[in-house]
Amino acid sequence: MTDKATQTPLVEMRNIHKSFGAVNALVNVNLSIAPGEILGLVGDNSAGKSTLMKILTGAYHRDEGEVLVEGKPTHFRSPHESRDVGIEMIYQDFALCGNLDVGQNIFLGRWPRKGLFVDRKRMYSEASEVLQRLKVDVNSVYQKVESLSGGRQQSVAIARAISFEPKLIILDEPTANLSVMATERLLETMAELKAQGVAQIIISHRLTDIFEVGDRVMVLKRGENVGDRYIKHTGEHEVLEMIVAGTPETAQTADEALAGKSSVPA
Amino acid sequence: MSQPTARALSGRMPLQMIGGWEVGLLGLMALLYIGGALLNPSFFGTSDALQALLRDSARFGVMAVGMTFVIANKDLDLSVGSTLGVIGVTFSFVFDPAHYDMGVMPAIAICLVFGTAIGLLNGVLVTFLKVPAFIATLTMLLIGRGVVLGMTGGRSILYPIKAREHEWFFQLGEFNAWGFNNQIIIVLIVVGIGAWVLAKTRWGYETLATGGNEQAAQYAGIPTNWVRIRAYVISSLCATLAGLMTVAQNKGITSQAGVLTELIVIAAVIIGGASILGGRGRVIGSYFGALLAALLHKVLREGVPIVREVEVNGEILQVNATSTLPAGAIPAFIGALLVFAVLIEPYVIRRKLLQRIFARLTGRAPPRVMETGGVAIEGAQTKGTTVGDRAVTARGFGKFLARRDALAIILMVVLWFIGFLLRPDYWAGLPNTFAILLNYTELAILTLGLTYVIACGDIDLSVGAVLALAGSTAAYALKVMGLDPASAMLLGVMAGTAAGMINAMFTVGLGLPAFIATLGMFYMARGVAAWIVAGQQLTGWAEPFNLIGRKVGDILAYFNVPPVGGQVGDILGVVSVQTIWMAVIAIIAGVVLAYTVFGQQVYATGGNRRAADYAGINTNRVRFITMVLSGFCAAMAGVINVAYFRSFNPVAGQFRELDAIASVIIGGGSIFGGFGTIIGALAGAAVITLVRALLQLNIITGTGESFSLPQHWVNTFIGGILIIAVLIDIWVRQAGVLGSLRERIFGRRKAARKVDND
Repeated sequence: MTDKATQTPLVEMRNIHKSFGAVNALVNVNLSIAPGEILGLVGDNSAGKSTLMKILTGAYHRDEGEVLVEGKPTHFRSPHESRDVGIEMIYQDFALCGNLDVGQNIFLGRWPRKGLFVDRKRMYSEASEVLQRLKVDVNSVYQKVESLSGGRQQSVAIARAISFEPKLIILDEPTANLSVMATERLLETMAELKAQGVAQIIISHRLTDIFEVGDRVMVLKRGENVGDRYIKHTGEHEVLEMIVAGTPETAQTADEALAGKSSVPA
Repeated sequence: MSQPTARALSGRMPLQMIGGWEVGLLGLMALLYIGGALLNPSFFGTSDALQALLRDSARFGVMAVGMTFVIANKDLDLSVGSTLGVIGVTFSFVFDPAHYDMGVMPAIAICLVFGTAIGLLNGVLVTFLKVPAFIATLTMLLIGRGVVLGMTGGRSILYPIKAREHEWFFQLGEFNAWGFNNQIIIVLIVVGIGAWVLAKTRWGYETLATGGNEQAAQYAGIPTNWVRIRAYVISSLCATLAGLMTVAQNKGITSQAGVLTELIVIAAVIIGGASILGGRGRVIGSYFGALLAALLHKVLREGVPIVREVEVNGEILQVNATSTLPAGAIPAFIGALLVFAVLIEPYVIRRKLLQRIFARLTGRAPPRVMETGGVAIEGAQTKGTTVGDRAVTARGFGKFLARRDALAIILMVVLWFIGFLLRPDYWAGLPNTFAILLNYTELAILTLGLTYVIACGDIDLSVGAVLALAGSTAAYALKVMGLDPASAMLLGVMAGTAAGMINAMFTVGLGLPAFIATLGMFYMARGVAAWIVAGQQLTGWAEPFNLIGRKVGDILAYFNVPPVGGQVGDILGVVSVQTIWMAVIAIIAGVVLAYTVFGQQVYATGGNRRAADYAGINTNRVRFITMVLSGFCAAMAGVINVAYFRSFNPVAGQFRELDAIASVIIGGGSIFGGFGTIIGALAGAAVITLVRALLQLNIITGTGESFSLPQHWVNTFIGGILIIAVLIDIWVRQAGVLGSLRERIFGRRKAARKVDND
């Protein structure tokens, strides 16, 4: 674990402040994630999870603070700019066009072209390649997305995100609308992505899912950091306690908490 | 409830609560009235003028009360104007000695039944059947207008003598013993009840909740469908009352009663402080809006007295005259008023424009405006339907049926054979075929642009009016300005394209719903078209211009090319250049939509605009281009129309928007966007053209007499087809009711679907 501390994090957000009118949505929030790491971002409603992620992707603009990607400071003005440096967000409702087919959706907005026309052959063959790489089963790249089930629509959204070759994928409540089976499949896909070196941030209410695939969990409460733990060295109970009763004063980083823990029995 | 508590909590009552808006409206009206009095003291300077204004605005006021409920619900009722007409005609038919000759009471009873039925029909179409409000009620408007014209035959029904026997009813339209018109009492009562219901009762609270957030209202247990139907019935009954008031005042009805009324009423409600986005509406404000709109209507209609110099026998005489605006000016101005009124809410109120200007003037910090956010802040729901993807799994004929344009192609073939069976002597012949093709061309050109707009998730209600605008501009350029044919053509096309650009600016640039912006253009473009040609006989210009509306044979003859014989000559003798032109444009439009990146962008934008935005597609640009394209296509159709008829007819393109939207929907387009192909739309246009041709076919009966349906009834019929097409699209293509019906009957496939729904 010591090498992780020395290594440059993939993304580092420092002292982020954001307010909407009189409401302080985020106060002095820090976040960092290493390459290939899976970070669970948890907290009550209105804890600021989505706001923090929207600041990371550039959908919102921060009032104060720094966002570093691979050590370089960034100022994204829109999600398109964060995509260029390898950050992809998958929305809870997938953001796909139901009237188009799977292939068209994977290449939404950047359809390959041949002269003046869309190169359909290349589009569909590359789309099925991406789907195979993800090891998901979608019957046909010619199928309209609106006729797919929720789990498969999400697979298409992930496939689309993967095709940008991202370094970090943010999943917003990925399991909220899924059945147990589909959730299992999604968690397998996430493990597969991790094996390919893609870092992931999951915003979720379901701690079980985060404990199954995550490396680390970070807790926000009313727009403030209240704790950060390695999954290996914590339990659902401790995380729940932070969600409900955590305060910024008692917050520790994952490494501090680990150091504290290992020092107590020693 | 104690006022002080509310004050203590909020500090100061918001401006809205103490009627600041209404005070502003009153001030504006006073200014307008003084302006009118200065321009024409003999008319506006008298108390009669005020009386007349209050009387004429009474009917608008009554309808505005009903409309407030509809708009507060986030709906729209375009049918009120024709409902007024239909009720007037119904009453007259029942009451008139020359028709059914019944008493006042039965006539009123029948009118109430009709009024309720129209309201219920609107409401059920919009709620349970999920037809977009503007489409359902626009069709009802045009159907109603067709019914009025069809029943009256374009004439007035008057019964002043019989009216004297029923003093008590017809007195309602007259002055009373206290010296003012009874209609003013009626409107004040209706406004009072309406204001009380909307502001103080559960009905009102339910209405505002439904308009504010229908889903939340539903979760809270409010029967939102019933609330919305109720509003439509209220609106329709208010229009019924207004119709009866019209009859009482005029002792009869004209075929033009209620024309443009829907526009004035909607403008009034929006001016009165209601939001087109629902959830806000103020009955008293709506009444003031009606007064303002009626005043504007009057100011526009009244002439300004001028002195005209006339030369008689070499002497110059000064003659008193009035200068009035031509007829088209009124819809043009009120259409513009509607569009600008809709802009007030999002741009002036939400963005605190006045407060910001005031703050800047006084040097204080401007109030903060809520961050509206850009792409991807709101959810980007993957829209779509649950219908199974039949196209992938179907085989053979099933594969054809799974196509969205299957309906259009089948109907096209069936209708053609019906025509053939009815008139085997004539239907399949070359002349008839090409006459149909000629009618087809105008509609087909309109649908090309409209297919793009509808696939993009927008709508263009103005295509028929823009056709007229382009035609009148070209005709004016030729005849009055004396331009050469090429310049006239260019000017006409430019005028129509400019109208498309204005549509695009209001929808894309200023964020108005497309149906409102293009509805404004629907009135403005036709108004300006009538304005341009007012009082002029626009016909008889140089022949070269007319060539673009001629048959190929005629053009060859014009250029002194010797006639070609045989079959080729026959075909050249009947094929028009415009048909060839249409085919060329159609091929380009079809290829672009189906095979290029731009076409994909159009479908993505229509399917899910936020997702498309997030994927980096400039959806504003895409929508802008499609709206302009639609104006451009309508303009081409307009210029060709004028060349074909060798004159401009102010009714050119009337009802064409209905035809064109129906064509696109029948041909596989979805009113919710994301679908539609050029081939489908062309087949749809063929269906509509064939329906019109069939309905107007002279059918020779057994006794040797010939019969054909009048034009008004044909339009009514087409309106019905549009509604049916939209219903088929929503329920059969999208929700797949046929599939689930089959499933329910045969019970199979259920297992297969369960696996898929994991």
